[in-house]
Amino acid sequence: MTHRRRLGTFLTAVTAGALLLSACGQSGNEASKPSASATGGAASGQTITYAGEQEFNSYNSIAVNNLVNSTAMQRVLLGFWYYGENGVVTPDKDFGTYTKTSDDPLTVDYEFNAKAVWSDGNPIDCDDALLYWAAKSGKIKGFQVDGTTGVELVKAPACKAGDKKFSFQYSEPFADWESNGPGAADVLPAHVAYKAAGMSEADFIAAVQAGDAKKLEAVIKFYNEGWVIEGGIKDMSLFPASGPYKISAMQPGQSLTLSANDKWWGAKPATPTVVMRVISQEEQAQALQNREVNLIEPQPNPDLLAQLQGMQGVTVKTGDAYTYEHLDFNFDSSPFKDKTLREAFAKCVPRQLIVDNLIKPLAPQAQVLQVRNVLPFEADYATVSQGSGSEAYAQPDIEGAKALLEKAGKVGMEVKIGHNLPNPRRTQEVQLIADSCNKAGFKITDAGDEKFFEAGGPLATNTYDVALFAWTGSAEVSGWSSTYTTAKECSEAGKENNNGCYSNKQVDELIKKLNAEIDKTKHPAIIAEIEKVLWSDLATIPLFAHPNMLAWDEKLQNVVPNPAQSSVTWNMDKWALAQ
Amino acid sequence: MIAFIARRLIVSFFVLLAATMVIYALTALAGDPLEDLRELPGPDRDRKIADRIERMNLDVPLPLRYLSWLGNLFRGDLGVNRDGQDVSVLLGNALSATLQLVVAATVLAVVIGVIVGIVSALRQYSTFDYSVTFTAFVCFSLPLFWVAVMLKQYIAIEFNDWLRDPVIPPTVIAVASLVGGLIWAAVLVGGRRARLAAFALGAAATAVTLTLLSATRWFADPGIGVVGLAVLAGGTAVGVTALISGLRHRDPLYAALSAAGIGVILSQVLDPVLADPSWLEIFGLALLTVAVCAGLGYALGGLLRRQAILAAVLTGLVTAGLTFLDRMLRGFADYSDYVRGRPIATIGSSTPNFKGDFWQTNLDVAGHLLLPTMALILISLATYTRYSRSSMLEVMNLDYVRTARAKGLPERTVVTKHAFRNGMIPITTLMAFDFAGVIGGAIVTENVFGWQGMGSLFLRGLQQVDPAPVMAFFIVSGSAIVLFNMLADIIYAYLDPRIRLS
Repeated sequence: MTHRRRLGTFLTAVTAGALLLSACGQSGNEASKPSASATGGAASGQTITYAGEQEFNSYNSIAVNNLVNSTAMQRVLLGFWYYGENGVVTPDKDFGTYTKTSDDPLTVDYEFNAKAVWSDGNPIDCDDALLYWAAKSGKIKGFQVDGTTGVELVKAPACKAGDKKFSFQYSEPFADWESNGPGAADVLPAHVAYKAAGMSEADFIAAVQAGDAKKLEAVIKFYNEGWVIEGGIKDMSLFPASGPYKISAMQPGQSLTLSANDKWWGAKPATPTVVMRVISQEEQAQALQNREVNLIEPQPNPDLLAQLQGMQGVTVKTGDAYTYEHLDFNFDSSPFKDKTLREAFAKCVPRQLIVDNLIKPLAPQAQVLQVRNVLPFEADYATVSQGSGSEAYAQPDIEGAKALLEKAGKVGMEVKIGHNLPNPRRTQEVQLIADSCNKAGFKITDAGDEKFFEAGGPLATNTYDVALFAWTGSAEVSGWSSTYTTAKECSEAGKENNNGCYSNKQVDELIKKLNAEIDKTKHPAIIAEIEKVLWSDLATIPLFAHPNMLAWDEKLQNVVPNPAQSSVTWNMDKWALAQ
Repeated sequence: MIAFIARRLIVSFFVLLAATMVIYALTALAGDPLEDLRELPGPDRDRKIADRIERMNLDVPLPLRYLSWLGNLFRGDLGVNRDGQDVSVLLGNALSATLQLVVAATVLAVVIGVIVGIVSALRQYSTFDYSVTFTAFVCFSLPLFWVAVMLKQYIAIEFNDWLRDPVIPPTVIAVASLVGGLIWAAVLVGGRRARLAAFALGAAATAVTLTLLSATRWFADPGIGVVGLAVLAGGTAVGVTALISGLRHRDPLYAALSAAGIGVILSQVLDPVLADPSWLEIFGLALLTVAVCAGLGYALGGLLRRQAILAAVLTGLVTAGLTFLDRMLRGFADYSDYVRGRPIATIGSSTPNFKGDFWQTNLDVAGHLLLPTMALILISLATYTRYSRSSMLEVMNLDYVRTARAKGLPERTVVTKHAFRNGMIPITTLMAFDFAGVIGGAIVTENVFGWQGMGSLFLRGLQQVDPAPVMAFFIVSGSAIVLFNMLADIIYAYLDPRIRLS
C-alpha cells in the first residue's frame, strides 16, 4: 500500500511540474534572448592580434630602452619622423613638419600640426618638445636616457608656452640631423610629467630653458619612473596618446590593447583595436594557425620556417634585419697586428659557405655582406659595395692563404675565435671557419664564452684573436662612427665600440667628414671611400645581415616588414582584416 | 584527533622553517642578482644598481637578509620583488591561475582514473584490462610538452577547422562505432552471446548518436535541450540507484527519479533566474538542490532511507550540472562568432578584452582550459588507473570479500560496499600528494599553454636570483604538501577504523 501511495504522490508531482513547465517555458526562452544579443555586439573583424615574446613595460621608451616598448608605441606616440619602408627615415606629415633653414649654424625648424592634441585634449606644443630636449640633450642631469648623441649639440629651443613652432640649432654640423629630431615614440606628454610633479607649465618651460636640474627634480623622477609599467596600468590618465591609437587596457603578463584614439586628427585607423599578446616563441606558430593571433615575428629557424610555410592561409616573409654579423681582428694583443696574417685569415674564411649553410635555410634571399655600414636592403648598397675590395675575398683561397702564412713564417699559428655562448649558430660558424682555415695552416680554437660581452670579459679585455659577433646598424651614419675611429686609449673604458682598437688616420678623417656632412646625397660616396680603406686594411670581415621572419594570416592586409628595430608596427593603422 | 593535528602542525612548522632557510640561501646564492644591470651602458647604471641593492637588501649579509625576510613574513608581508612589485599581489594572481588550471584536471583525473581502474580490476585479464594497461603505460611515458603540441594541433586547430562544416565523415562514424561496441563488449561479463549483443548494441548506439549529431550539425550550435536533459537525467537516476542500492528495491529509485524529474522541470522554470547569474547564485542553487534532493530521499526512501538520500542527491547534482552545461552551450553560437568560429584556444587563460555574460565568459574560460586540462589528465590518469586497479585487485582477493560472497550478497554490494571503500585507502595518499604537488608542479603545462601561474612565478624568480617570489611560491606549495598530507592521514583514519590518530 505504502508503495503505491508514494508512487501516486510522485506522479502527481511530476504532472504538476509538467504543467508548470509548459506555462513557464516560453517566458524563459524570451528572457534569455537579450543577453545573447548584448554580447554579440563586439564585432570580431574589428580586432587584430599581434604576438610578441616580451611584455610591454614602459610607455617611455627613451628611459627604458626595450625594443618591445618602441614597437608597441610606434602608432601611439608619434614623432616628426619614423622608420618607413626599408628602414628609411620618413617624415610624419600628420604630426608636423620640419625644414632645414640654415647650414651654418645648422638650424632645423619644427612645427607641430595645428590640430595636434594629446588624447586627453591637451595641445601638443612647446612643452613637449622641451621635455624631449631636456631628456636627450644630457644638459640636465638625472634624466635616464638611451643616449645623447646629436641632441647634445642642440641649444635649448626658445619657444614659449603654447607655441606650435620650435627650432633646433646645432653648435656644429651634424649629418643625422633629420633623425636627430623627435621621432616616433620619442615625444612624451610633458603636461603629465609636470602636473605629476606639481609644477606649472610656465615654471617647467622656464626651468628647462634655464637648465635647472634642481627645480626639475620631481619631473625627472616622474620621467624615469612614472611611465614604467609594473604589473598593469593603474591610472590610465598618465598615458595619453598622440597617434591613431591609444592604450586602452592592459592585462599583466597577457596582453596590451590599443584602440582607436577619438582625438586623433588624421586618417582613421583601418582597424579599431589592435591587441599585442605576450606569447613565447615556441607557441606563436600554433597560435597563428589557430588564428588566436594574426601576426607573429619569431626568431627565424629552419624548422619553424618549414612549419609556417606548410600552414594554409599563412603568409611567411623572410628578410634582412638591421643587424649584421662580422669577424673583428684584435689589433691590440694578437699576432693579427700583422696585415699579412689578417690577409691570410681573410682568404680562408668561407663566407659564401657560411651564408649557404647557415642563413639560406632561414632566408632564401640571403647573400654575403660586402660592406659593413650599409645593408643589402638599403638603396645605396650597390653603390657603396661596388669596388670596395670585398671581391678578393668572395671565395676562400686556401692556397693563397697558405702562401701568405708561409711567407710570414707562422704556419700552425693558433687563432682563438671569441664569441658569446650559448649560440649554436656561431658555434657552427666557427666550425666552418676551422674546417677551411685549418687546411691553410691555421689552428683555429673555439673560444666561445658565456661572459663574452660582460664587463671584464674577453671582448672588453681583448683576450681573443678574432671576435665573432653582430652590430645593430641603422639608417644613421653617426651610429657607427665610434666603431672605426681611433680609440682615445685602448682600455676597457676608453675604446668604446672599437673593441679591437683598430686605428687609421685616414678613416678618422673620413668619418669626421661624414658626420659633418649635412647633405645626405653626399653620404654614399664618403661611406664607399671608408669601406675601401677598411677592406684594404682588413679592419673587420663582414659576413651577413641577420635574417628576420614575419608570418601573418593572409586575410590581414597591408603588413609591410621593416628591417628597423621598431619593426613591423610602423604602419599598424593601415592593417586591416578581410572578412 | 585534535592532539594529533596540533602535533603534526607544530612539527610541520619547524620542517617548513628549516626548508625556507635552505631554499632562501640556495636561491640567493644561485647567481648574480645584478647581472642584467651590469651590462647596461651609460651613466645610469650605478643609480640602478644602487636602487636594486637597496630594494633587495643586498648590502646586508645573507643570514641577516633571511632573518629580515622571515620577520616580515610573520608580520604578513611577503615583500617586493626586484622590480618593486608587491609579491603578495603577484602570488594572488599566480595562485588563482594555477588553481583554475589544476583543480578541474585533478578532480577529473581522480574520478575517471579510479572508475577505469576499478572496472579494469573487476575484469582482470580481459581485453578491456589489457587495453587500459597498454593505454595507461603509453600516456604515462608521454612527455607533456609533446602531448601539448599534439593536443593543440588536433583538438584545437583541426577541430576548429572542422567546426566550419561539422559533418562527421562516414568512415569516422564506422570506426567510432566499432570502438564503442568493443568497449561495451569488453566491459560486460557473460558468455559469447551476451558479449556479441553488447557489442552490437554499443556499436549501434554510437553509430546512431554520431549520425544524428552530424546530420543535425549539432556541433555548430550544441545544446542538450529538454528532451536530452530528461533522457540523461533519467538515465543518471537509474544508473546511480543501480550502483548504490540496486534496482530490486523501488523506493530509492523513485527518490532518484523524482529528483531527476524536478531537476528537469526546474531547469525550465528557473530559466529567467539563470539569465546572467553570478557564481554565488550558482553555488546557492547547488546547495538548494542538495537540500531538496535530501528531502526527497528522506520522504520517499522508506526502509532504504540512507541510500535513497544519497541516490537522490547525486542524481540532483548531476541534473543540475547538465542544466548548467546546457545553459552554457546556449551562448555557444554567439561566442563562436566572436572568436571567428574558433572556440578552442591554444594559448593563454582568456581571450583579451572579451566581455560577455556569465555563460559566455565561462565558455571562454572553458575553451582556454580544455587543452591544458586534457594534457594534465592524460598524464596523471595513468597513475590513478594503475594504483586503483592494483589496490582493488588486492582487496577483491581478501578473505572477507570471499565471506561476503559466501553469505550470498549480490556482486554489486560486495564491490561497492565491501571492497570499494577499502580499495580507496591507498588512493587517498596518492590524491593528497598529487594535488599538493600539482599546485607547484604544473610548470611545463603553464609554460606551454601560456598561463602565468605559480610555475612561472617560481621560474622567473629563480632566473632573476630574486628570493622573494621564490619564497612565496615555496611557502604556498610547501604548506600545501604539509596540509594535504595531514588531510590524507585524517581521511585514512576515517576510511580504515584500525588506524588511530594518536
